[in-house]
Amino acid sequence: MKKLLSFVLIACMAVAMPTFAEETIKVGIILPLTGEKAKFGEIEKRSFELALEEINKAGGINGKKLEFIFEDDTGRPDVARSAAEKLITKDKVVMLGGGYGSSETFAIAGVAQQNKMPFLVNTGSDNKITEQGWEYVFRLNQPVSEYPKALASFLTEVVKPKTAVILYENTNFGTSGSKEFAKLCEELGIQVVMNEGYEHGGVDFKPLLIKVKEKNPDLVYMISYVMDAALLMKQSMELRLKPKLFVGGGAGFTLPEFQKNAGKASETVFSATLWYQTLKYPGAQEYYNKFVEKYKSDTEYHGAQAYAAAYVIADALKRAKSLKPEDVRQALAETDLMTAYGPVKFTSYDKMTNQNKLPTYLVQWIDGKLELVWPKEIAAKPYVYPIDWDKVWGQ
Amino acid sequence: MYTFFQTLVAGFLIGGIYALVGIGMTLIMGVMKIINLAHGQLMMVSMYLTYVLFTQFNIDPYVALIITMPALFLLGLFIQKYFLNPLLRVESILPENQVLMTVGIGMVLTEIMRFIFRSDYKSVKTSYSMSAIYLKGLSINLPMLIAFGIALVLTIALFWFLLKTDLGKSIRATAQNKEAAVLLGVNAEWITILTYGIGAGLVAAAGSLLLPIYYLFPDIGGPFTLKAFVITMLGGMGSTVGAIVGGVVLGIAESLGSTYVSMALRDTVAMVIFILVLIFLPGGLKKITKI
Repeated sequence: MKKLLSFVLIACMAVAMPTFAEETIKVGIILPLTGEKAKFGEIEKRSFELALEEINKAGGINGKKLEFIFEDDTGRPDVARSAAEKLITKDKVVMLGGGYGSSETFAIAGVAQQNKMPFLVNTGSDNKITEQGWEYVFRLNQPVSEYPKALASFLTEVVKPKTAVILYENTNFGTSGSKEFAKLCEELGIQVVMNEGYEHGGVDFKPLLIKVKEKNPDLVYMISYVMDAALLMKQSMELRLKPKLFVGGGAGFTLPEFQKNAGKASETVFSATLWYQTLKYPGAQEYYNKFVEKYKSDTEYHGAQAYAAAYVIADALKRAKSLKPEDVRQALAETDLMTAYGPVKFTSYDKMTNQNKLPTYLVQWIDGKLELVWPKEIAAKPYVYPIDWDKVWGQ
Repeated sequence: MYTFFQTLVAGFLIGGIYALVGIGMTLIMGVMKIINLAHGQLMMVSMYLTYVLFTQFNIDPYVALIITMPALFLLGLFIQKYFLNPLLRVESILPENQVLMTVGIGMVLTEIMRFIFRSDYKSVKTSYSMSAIYLKGLSINLPMLIAFGIALVLTIALFWFLLKTDLGKSIRATAQNKEAAVLLGVNAEWITILTYGIGAGLVAAAGSLLLPIYYLFPDIGGPFTLKAFVITMLGGMGSTVGAIVGGVVLGIAESLGSTYVSMALRDTVAMVIFILVLIFLPGGLKKITKI
């Protein structure tokens, strides 16, 4: 027994040794690595790892190596909460990053604020995450209320619709996004004839779409994750729902999987997006190319957010006076960095604090490819409008 | 009027698939008196199998039925023989050990698939995936219609098997009274193994039929286990006819609920029906249909 115990002890020490030899700066990253949102979690994790490799190759944090400890929130707020607590108390990380789903991000942010642990959000976009006056919570990405801004100018200048239908998944993200879009419609003088949520993961959206068809709107705005998005479009095509345009509110509609699953039903569908590789930011196109080359799969704005977040984390840690949470927080607050995702600087506007302000864009699926079409000045391809659905969908 | 009929069509078609998902579970529950909480996960395995057959060997999902059904049948035999039956022989505090075991099996299956295929969403795109028949303006999804038809054929075949063959009669006898069946020379252990296999084979069919319509990821099993459970209760445990009617009733109720109440409350509608059935019709539809 004693022999066994000492053997176990030695084994433990042998495993623990390398960490003694090489001190690293640990940052906890919480992402959905399994579960329904794992597709996005994977893109983000890969982007974090890509950036980490580059940061450490370039000398790490003032000579010390940066280390990301990934935790899986499985797409559930309660799991996200305990993952954050584990990272703070057990792993003794110096700050937190990640945050994908809005509900999960909100849970993590609460824990971070309670424990006075800086937390840089890179995707969770429900407005209320930065509306609590939490000084330890920073957000790099645009809040969901910004998503339709580019769309707004497109609608007033090009389409001029009279009626709109809003469909959204009944999560924090969807509900918050639908409210914001409804407000925007009111400002633009568009009448919202139907505003309805759905439980995500449905097999059959036809009951919902039949109602939309009955209302015959000019515009259908949908806030959905990728597979719901694909099914919504497929079934819209089946029911021959023909508004002037379909617009996705970010999330699922920009992923390559959307096109792959919806096939020709994805054609000419617009989507709000937060980033595109042809944007004139230093490193944007390079990030895209590196990712595609390394992982042999496509990436989009979620990945760019994670990639940029890694650089913001490294930058803040480099500038921090010490690795105490208060100093890291201070350094984050003073961030002024150009990233592949755009400039990062935390300000306060509307009701939000520590919020990075960035424009949003409009993309459209044209001939099976996602193209940046709006604002006009930076468009990579002209938009397709008006749309002849019979021609797009075939008989 | 259009809205009403289109909703009805959509509900009816999805109900056909629900029925096929539920029928295997109801069979297992009737014979073994256990709730098979790995049911949806077995369907998920069949979907992955169909997916591999389609992408690697170019086998159409409908043709894949002749491979996935026997494959899952064998998997079912294996699970019952080596995981569930041994629990019967063990003295335990909880009589629900077998049910708990099925939960574990479901989790293991999910994680194995996640390990092999990652968490990615997958789907197959066949030439008919998006085709629909238009009947006086009503759209009828073709893959769903085919699925409904095959579901009907399989159910009739099962019915014939249970009513006319010796083996089927043994299964029914075991379901009615296990002790008596054993006394009359039925090998009850073999019957339970066989039943679980048939149940798995039937839900495998549901998986293959669903793939051209829906998509696939490792966690897809859970919600379908729940659906199957509701259908089983709705139809009355062990009643195949009840399962069909239960599946269609659930499909139509969900669709009507989505159209006239709210799509966000789709699952709520199902659960309310579930509770109402438990309160007012504890035996399920079997009480009415008698089969």
